[in-house]
Formats: sequence, structure tokens, C-alpha cells
Amino acid sequence: MNCEVCQLKELKVEHFEIREVLRCILHTIVFHRALGLLRPKDVDLELFEITYVQCGDVELEKKIDEKIDHFVSWVEKHPNKKSQICLSFYEVKSKQPSWFANKTERLYWEQWYVNLNVIQHPKRHSSKSHHTKVVVDPRESANEERSSHRVMVEASLREVLFQIIKFVNEKKDHLPPISEGVIYFPYEITIPSSSDSAFGMDMIKRMLHSGHPTMLS
Amino acid sequence: MEMDREPGKLEQIVSQFRSKILHVILESRVPSLHHQQQESLSLSRVRKTDKWFNLVLGDRPPALENLNFSLRNLLDPMVIDIILVRHGPCSSSVDNLYAPSAAAAGPSTETVIERWVVQYDCPRVFATPSGAEAAVSYKKIYKKCILLLRSLYSQMRLLPAYRIFRQLSLLSQTYNFDLIYKVSSFSHPFSREEEDGMKEYNFTPVEAPPGCLCVSVTYRTTLSDFNLEPLVSLPPKIITDYVGSPTTDPMRSFPSSERGAHAISFPSRGLRSPSSIPFQRPHSWSSGFHRGIPPTKTQSLAGSPPAYRTSCKPYDISSPPADLFGNRIQNHRVSTLQQATAYDEYKLSPPFSPSASPSTPTYLTGANPLLTRHCSETAPVTIPLPLTGRSTRYLSPNSSDPSRHSLPPLSPRSSKHDASSQESPSGIRSYRKIEALRAGESPSGLSNLYSAPKVVRDSKDDSGRFSGLLSSSGSPRIGFSRSSSRLSFQDDMDDCEFSCPFDVDDVDVSDSSSQNTESKKASEFTAQSNLVGKKSQDAAVGILVHLLRTAPPLRQDSSCYSTHSLKTEYDGGVGMASGFFLPRKTADALEELNSYREMKDLLLSKSGTQAVRKEGMK
Repeated sequence: MNCEVCQLKELKVEHFEIREVLRCILHTIVFHRALGLLRPKDVDLELFEITYVQCGDVELEKKIDEKIDHFVSWVEKHPNKKSQICLSFYEVKSKQPSWFANKTERLYWEQWYVNLNVIQHPKRHSSKSHHTKVVVDPRESANEERSSHRVMVEASLREVLFQIIKFVNEKKDHLPPISEGVIYFPYEITIPSSSDSAFGMDMIKRMLHSGHPTMLS
Repeated sequence: MEMDREPGKLEQIVSQFRSKILHVILESRVPSLHHQQQESLSLSRVRKTDKWFNLVLGDRPPALENLNFSLRNLLDPMVIDIILVRHGPCSSSVDNLYAPSAAAAGPSTETVIERWVVQYDCPRVFATPSGAEAAVSYKKIYKKCILLLRSLYSQMRLLPAYRIFRQLSLLSQTYNFDLIYKVSSFSHPFSREEEDGMKEYNFTPVEAPPGCLCVSVTYRTTLSDFNLEPLVSLPPKIITDYVGSPTTDPMRSFPSSERGAHAISFPSRGLRSPSSIPFQRPHSWSSGFHRGIPPTKTQSLAGSPPAYRTSCKPYDISSPPADLFGNRIQNHRVSTLQQATAYDEYKLSPPFSPSASPSTPTYLTGANPLLTRHCSETAPVTIPLPLTGRSTRYLSPNSSDPSRHSLPPLSPRSSKHDASSQESPSGIRSYRKIEALRAGESPSGLSNLYSAPKVVRDSKDDSGRFSGLLSSSGSPRIGFSRSSSRLSFQDDMDDCEFSCPFDVDDVDVSDSSSQNTESKKASEFTAQSNLVGKKSQDAAVGILVHLLRTAPPLRQDSSCYSTHSLKTEYDGGVGMASGFFLPRKTADALEELNSYREMKDLLLSKSGTQAVRKEGMK
């Protein structure tokens, strides 16, 4: 089984926009991979005029929010860095237990990479030192810049959502069969860890488990 | 949903797929269907139809079932057009204001903003898959249909039309547009112009041998070109600060119209509560058409001089103003819709443009240059010029009482309800009489411009001068009815260079507060009478009103004009220094009375009628 990978378009977001953006993207992806019986739940973003759809599963919402919290903590420790969140769907396969492997393995059949570039507002630092000198203009220009940034982020987010829909439509054959009583496929959200090297090791480990053709020799 | 090899399974999948897509599209584009679904979603149980494609949407609206039946030929495409209906300027403006949701009387334009095409593309000749292949096929088909529906559901919320749908779904607001849908098995091709602004997206077809399920959408990329705005309609509210309300500051300034001062009146369509009419304020001009309605605190539709209402002879209250106002109202329906925000500036106006219909001030304007001047300078509404004839007609309201014609149309401050005169022939100027005015009958066409409370307010502020005037004449002083511009008049009273009895500041507001002695009044009268020749006729009228306010009514018996009655009246009202009259001689009183008569004649000559001279006064 192939593991389909989708690299989503990079989003430049500010720190306070991370939660909403990630919630929107992750829930949209999971909704398209939740093929069990569900009642869709429309959620309006507060920062942007976008409505996305959730599965309506409370547990899922909690788990995603936890991961987002971890990511936000990581971003606070690593400011001004590009980061990537990986949402993976896998199948659990049982295999022969051995010394080095567990009884079950995860076969990743799809991976979504959410690329974020967390930026800080350029006027924040400068305005602190100069706001006492200049009264009106920097604030107005800051507001204008903030509003144009918001418009840009909203447009980019909308593009990402369209990208997800397009990918979901085009790639359908790799999905495993739907299990009875299961709402959504097993998933895993990977956020950057404290070190980049560890994050890279996670990726390698995942690729080994998924049996990516390039890793097979 | 288990797939098996039952015959007709494919047809069932395709049929349910079409129904589900139709349901998804309409529930996120048609507000009425969306509300129905919201109600059904509140129920916890999942229906059989919800289980199809594992997407719980709630009950299918009956319209959907009918559509499914009419489009039961699965090989025909199902074309779903989402149409934006924009309501244009409406001729029947008043009704639409009362029921803005049904604002479809005017021309409306329809634009297809989305077109969804669902089709099972199947060759004529095909081979049915057999056995295991069919089962696997049905499962795959079903799974892919689920995926397609998921993506379609998400995309519905990303397209531009969704925002319009959300706006319309707000029950608290009405708009000048609406979304409707049309489902058919064919579609009219878009024009080139329409295609330019549209974009097409094709969902990946679901292979369902022998054919494939195809879903595509052509949508307008932007809807900002359309002038989509909410209809400004105020929820029912109690207005307590209307013009003439006793709680309203008479000196309160109101915004003026750019076009000048136009009083606005409602057409004569019977009583409408202020709460049912957007932006309606119980203005004095609206009261003319609502006779006999006991006013409430929030309703100033009543209270105009009832005499005008009863004396229909020289004029017709309902038709001319109604026609005029109705036309004006219609004309301004457009501006109502298009400039809804401007309404906030015209607190006096009905839900029409402030430059809308003329009303009593129009007539007053023609008859009273002073009023014209006031209107042009201060009023929030424009008083069309000139309507002297009409004003004359309005000013001669009651043929039964010629004396009622004695007073010319003057500034709105001089208006007084007939009720006051009728109820207090003695010319009591207390505020209680003013209250009686409010409870009076509907006014004439002139006084319909003024709300009873407003007039009451003015009466009060005028220290009963008007009431005294009316009481003395015993006639409805329609000429003194106010216009909406009166509101601004009050604001400009202090700025008014013309000092006249109508000027509140120059007049004792109430009997109790008046501290003028009779000697002062006499001197004022003498001085003012001398001023008559010097000042304009309007000024003379103002002076007369002032004098008459402090004078016994003209219609009183001769005994009323005696010093004794004067004394009694003043004593009863204010507690004046009755001693003022004691030293006076009869000759002085007669001289004063003669002056009164001269002034009265002057007024009558202006109004074109002859007052009946009171005999026995000499």
C-alpha cells in the first residue's frame, strides 16, 4: 500500500493565529478521513471568515487541542522558525512478534504536512520604542499592516483547504476499507520535538514502519 | 451500509447519491431548508436516510422528496441553480416596509451564482459487473461516494455563496436580496458575460460501472459586485423621546435635511402603531390621519385638533395629504432601501426619506413667511413651496365656527389643538389642558403634522399662550399646527431674531410661573400694538397671540371681558396680582378691548375671513 503524502502550502501566521489555523486544517483533514457515521459540525473561525467542518467527536477534538497546545509551547521556545506538523493515518497490522518489533505495526497510508511559518508582527518591537515619539502614524500603519496580513492569511488558509479537498478527491484508492463502528481512521499527529534531530528520527522511524518504497532495499 | 449483489443496487446508490447531494447543497444555500434541518438535527435519533453515505443531515425537506421524484430518471442530469434575487426599488414602498421580507413588489434581478450539475454518465450500452466484482465494486463506489460527499460538504462552506447564505440565515435581519434554487434536468447555458465571472470545479468522478458519477460546480468567484445590504428595519420599540413628548426637551436639536425642511407624513391608511413601522416616529404630522385614537405615551398619532377632522368641508384631510404623501413615500422607497443608514439622522421622519412628502408645514410655509423662513433655516425636513392655496384651505377648517378662521397660519409654535379650545373655552393654560389636547381628536391636515404631545409640549412651553388663543377663539387653530420642522424651531428659538408670541422664551410658560403684572401686560400690549404697524404682519400676529393669551377669550360672554372675569381668570390660573385691575377704569378696559378687536381684524383680514364681532363687548 502506498503512502500518499500531501505537503500543504506554507502559511505565515502570527503566534495568536496558530490555534485557529491548526484547528481548522487538522479537523478538515480528519473530517475527510472520517468515513463512519457522523453528524458534521460547522465551526466558524473567529479570526477569519471561514467555516470548516468537524466530525463532532469530542474525544477527537480534545486530542487535537492537546497537540496544538504542545505545538504552541514548542513555538514559544523556538520563535521565528518554520515548523511542520504531520498528521498521519495508519492501519494497525499485526505481525509476528520479534525481539525488535512489537506485535502490531502501524502502516501509514497517508501523511499530511502542515507547514507553518510563525512570524512576529514587525511593528511590535519598533513601536514599543518609538510610540512615545510618534503619535498616530505608526499605529495606523501597524493596523493596516495587520489587517492586510489577516487578509493574506485568510486567503492562504482558504487555499490550503481547497488543496485538501482537491487531494481528497484525487486520491481515493489508497484508503483502507471502512471498519464497522469506526468513525475515523487511526491517526497520529506529530509535532516538532525539542530538537530537530529527534523530529528527523521520528520521520525516519515512520517511514520504516510505513514500508516506503525508497526505504526498502 | 452493506453492499451486496442485489440487482438495482447501483441504481439505489446513484439515486441516494443524487438525493444526498441535493440535500447537502440546499441545506447550505436555502435558509428556509436550513432552519428546518436545524430543527430536525436537534433530535437525537438517526433516520434511515441519514445513514446513507454516513452523513447525518437531518430530515429531508418535503421539497426534496418531490424533486427526487420528478428527477427519478437517473440518467438525466440534475442541475441545481442557486439564484441570487436582488430586490430593486419598490413602488409599493409602504407595504414593503411593513413586511420587508416580502419586498418583492419592485423589480428584482435574478442571477445564477452557483450551478451544480450531478450526472451519472453512463454509456448506452454497458455490461453489468458480475458477482464478486460487483460486490467489491459497490463497496468501492460507496466509499468513494462518501469521500466525494465529504469534500462537497466542505466545499459548500468555502464558496462565496455560503457567506450570503449565512447572512440570510440570520433571522434578526432582513436583506434586499434572497437566495432561491431551481432544480431541473437541463440548464440554460451561461452567457459569455456570465461566464467571465465564474469558475468551474469538477469533483473527481466516481467510477460506478458501467458509468461514473460526475459532480461539478460553476460558481461566481466574487459576489462583491452585487449591492447586497440589509434592509434597515427597526425592531419594535417604544419611542419616548418623540417630538412633543412631555419628556422630550423642546430645545432638543434635530438634524436638518440637506434639501431643506420637509415635513413627512404618513399616508392616510389608518392607524399604524409606531412599533409596526420601521423608523416611524409618532410625529405630529402623522396624527392628522388618525383621528380619535387615544394617545399613549409612545403614540403621538392623535391629539390634533379634532375640529378639523370633523369639518371636512373646506378641505379633505385624507386624500390630498395621503396622495401627496403616498407619492412621496413611494418615491423615497428607493432611498429608504439604499440609504438606510440615513434614517438615523432623521429622527422625526417616518421611514421615508426626509426629503419626502410635504406635509402641513408646506401649507404653512405658503401662508406664513415666517414659517418658511424657519423651515428653510432650521427644519430637518423640507417644506415644499408654495402651497398657499392648500394652506388656506387647511387654515379655514371649520365652517361652523368662523371664528376659528380668525387666526392665520403662522409659525408652528402657534399651533394649538382644537381640543384644548373645546375643552377649555375659558382658556385655561395649565398643563392639564394640554393633556386634554393630547387626548383630543385627530387633527386636520395641517395639525396632522404635529404630534399631539409635541403640540402639548409647545403649548406648555408657550405658557399657555396658544391654549389661551384657542380657547378664546374656540376654534382649532390649525394654522398654528406645527410641522416637523417645528422641532428644529424649538432649537432655534433662542436664535430666532423675530420675537413673537410664538417664541416660547418670550412668553410665560405657565400661569403659575408668570410673574407679570397686569400693568406690564397692558404696557406690553400697547407697545406691541404699536409695533404692529412697524413689524411684519406675522409679527403682529405673534403679538396678538401673546396678548390674547393673557386676555380673556374673544368668544367669551361680555362678562368674561370684564375686569372681574379677567381677574377671576388670572386668579384661578396663576394667582396674579389681581390688584392690577382694580385701579383701572372702564374706559381703559374698553380701549383695551378695542385694541384687541383691531388686532383680531387684522388677523382675520390675513386669513381672509371675517370674524364675528362680539356684540355686547362695547
